[in-house]
Amino acid sequence: MNKLMSLLLITLVSLGINLGLASAEGYTKQKVVYHVNFDDEKQLKAALGNIQNHINAVGKDNLDLRVVMHGPGIALLQIANKNADFADKISNLKRQGIHFNVCNNTLQSKKINFKNDLYDVSQEDIVPSGVAEIAQLQTQGFSYVKP
Amino acid sequence: MNQEKKFSDEFINAFVDDQLTLEEKQQVYAQLSSDETLKWRICELRKTRDLVALAYKEPPMPTRGLAPSLGKRKYSLGVAAGLALMVGTVSGWFLHQTPAPTTLSSARLAAGDETAKVLIHVSDGHVDHLKNALDEVESLMQYYRDSKQTARVEVVTNGQGLSLLLANVTPFAERVQSMQKKYPGLSFVACQNTIERFQQETGVAVKLLPGVIVIDSGVAQIMRRQHQGWAYIQV
Repeated sequence: MNKLMSLLLITLVSLGINLGLASAEGYTKQKVVYHVNFDDEKQLKAALGNIQNHINAVGKDNLDLRVVMHGPGIALLQIANKNADFADKISNLKRQGIHFNVCNNTLQSKKINFKNDLYDVSQEDIVPSGVAEIAQLQTQGFSYVKP
Repeated sequence: MNQEKKFSDEFINAFVDDQLTLEEKQQVYAQLSSDETLKWRICELRKTRDLVALAYKEPPMPTRGLAPSLGKRKYSLGVAAGLALMVGTVSGWFLHQTPAPTTLSSARLAAGDETAKVLIHVSDGHVDHLKNALDEVESLMQYYRDSKQTARVEVVTNGQGLSLLLANVTPFAERVQSMQKKYPGLSFVACQNTIERFQQETGVAVKLLPGVIVIDSGVAQIMRRQHQGWAYIQV
């Protein structure tokens, strides 16, 4: 009878531990696209903060996060080109595996030279259409976030 | 105003759930044409019903799907503790309680076919914002056309965004119409809830641009479309 009781006790304890573990671990792998199409500096700064918080919560190894900029949202990298605080934040996010993608339609229509006018953009960061890219990523299982 | 009390909440609920007899339904329809409050009540209930239905159709979130993984983990740790049988039974019971995520695959299937499906949500009514939204939609349609990809794009307006499609308000009437003609896969959609609220607030009957589709609720439409595998973009 004692044996049975202790067995029951161990089971209950192990169940308790498991419940604890599961909630502490929390997140599994996430694929997320952040949509940036606004040029308000405060809002952009807040968006960079959101992304860092997202990484902190989920863990950089659990996260495939793409920032897609188009239209007025291109301002993020224009500001970063002149503002060291923005530049640092973006470089820091890139070191944690975040991708920053730029819409080619926007570059064309606004006549932006990505090498001179934008902060740290290379050819492979450019997508043909920002909106189409966001749509495509969602069909690949990315969640949509508008910060 | 006396008419307002004619139908109880239960009765209206039954109407929304399609549980009335034909005769009872006809009573509701007869009054609907003249009773704004009744229309509003039904619309709100429909919206709630749709949202509830969608919420329960949603598969468990894969990212934080605690329930299924909890069961598995209990099982494996149970083995390590030499209590496989008991814990296995417990986890089995828990797994049994968790519905299988069957709807996920169907949503992905819809997304996997050739046609790109995108819902563009417009809820801000500033002129600059609306112009920007139309620019985005146009360049998206052009992109799909140039890359020879078939596409269905729905521009769903609610709240202040409705002004894009109001015949006597929008500065973009001609542009919207020319875009409708140019891109057969593109449709402009207005939210019935917003239309009714607008009419109640202003006392003016809403006149929409030609070819605009009216749906019950913008929010419900957004959820339905995402559930059907459409991409969602807020501009």
